[in-house]
Amino acid sequence: MTELLSRQRVEAFYKAYATRDPEKVAPYIHDDVEWTVCGPVDYLPFCGTHRGKASILDLIGRRVQAVLRTYSFVPEAILVDGEQVAMLSRQSAWRAADGRAISYRVANYMRFRDGKVLHNLSLIDSFDVVEQVLGHPLPVPSKHHDDGELIAI
Amino acid sequence: MADAVTRELAEGFYKALADLNFEALETYLDDNVSWTMRGPVDVLPYCGCHTGKATVLRLLGRDIPALFDKRRLLPHSMLVDGDYVAVFGVLTANRAGSRRKVTCRIAQFIRFAGGKVVAYTSILDSFDAAEQMLGRPLKVARAGNGHALAV
Repeated sequence: MTELLSRQRVEAFYKAYATRDPEKVAPYIHDDVEWTVCGPVDYLPFCGTHRGKASILDLIGRRVQAVLRTYSFVPEAILVDGEQVAMLSRQSAWRAADGRAISYRVANYMRFRDGKVLHNLSLIDSFDVVEQVLGHPLPVPSKHHDDGELIAI
Repeated sequence: MADAVTRELAEGFYKALADLNFEALETYLDDNVSWTMRGPVDVLPYCGCHTGKATVLRLLGRDIPALFDKRRLLPHSMLVDGDYVAVFGVLTANRAGSRRKVTCRIAQFIRFAGGKVVAYTSILDSFDAAEQMLGRPLKVARAGNGHALAV
């Protein structure tokens, strides 16, 4: 029988996840986990779908940290509904390259099994995050052309 | 728990939002509702923070349809807990006046108080959405000074 997921368990996971310490996160990650971060891999190389506990712990502890060093992960909402969890958080990090501070919101949808994360989907305002990682606005034209294309003015 | 949202209320509101049923939406929205859609306003001009029922209804009824036809919200998961509802799903739409279709994952967090929606926040993979809106990849090179250059 599947163990009922408690809010206490989810909050303990959140606290561990906020540290980005693989040793603290490991007890909450299912062996068969699938972890997806939506975003452009050209600029945020940790994006994409990752599978397996070792891969996810490496992602959290090393691959993300190679781009962004998270120093604050604050929940705005944590919902627990059966074995599903939704989290809306404010993540603050230093760019690994130069220590510049960046901040953005992240939404996580998770499904737990036996008290461990089996599936995660992370959604971020990726356009904004890329601009912050680059340190400059993306060169997007600002006016719509009649044929539906965007043109610079 | 005070102000706990029922699944019936959550589903009723979401159906009104997905169907753009403005008569129903008017009954669900608080007069001072805060409506935030994260995304680049240069590409998706309706993004940003909007306050007040009339403003939000105008946004949903006029501003977004000016940019998109055939907008559809396809929820995959709806979570209800306390005064919050979270929906993860897919948004599809066509660029108004064109056949260009935009499809992106979206997360929506909706907070209720007194049976009304008082706050809405959506997050989508906005880089991907921007590329689909532009109809081409956003390619950026890093110049020696770190500035982003279009390529």
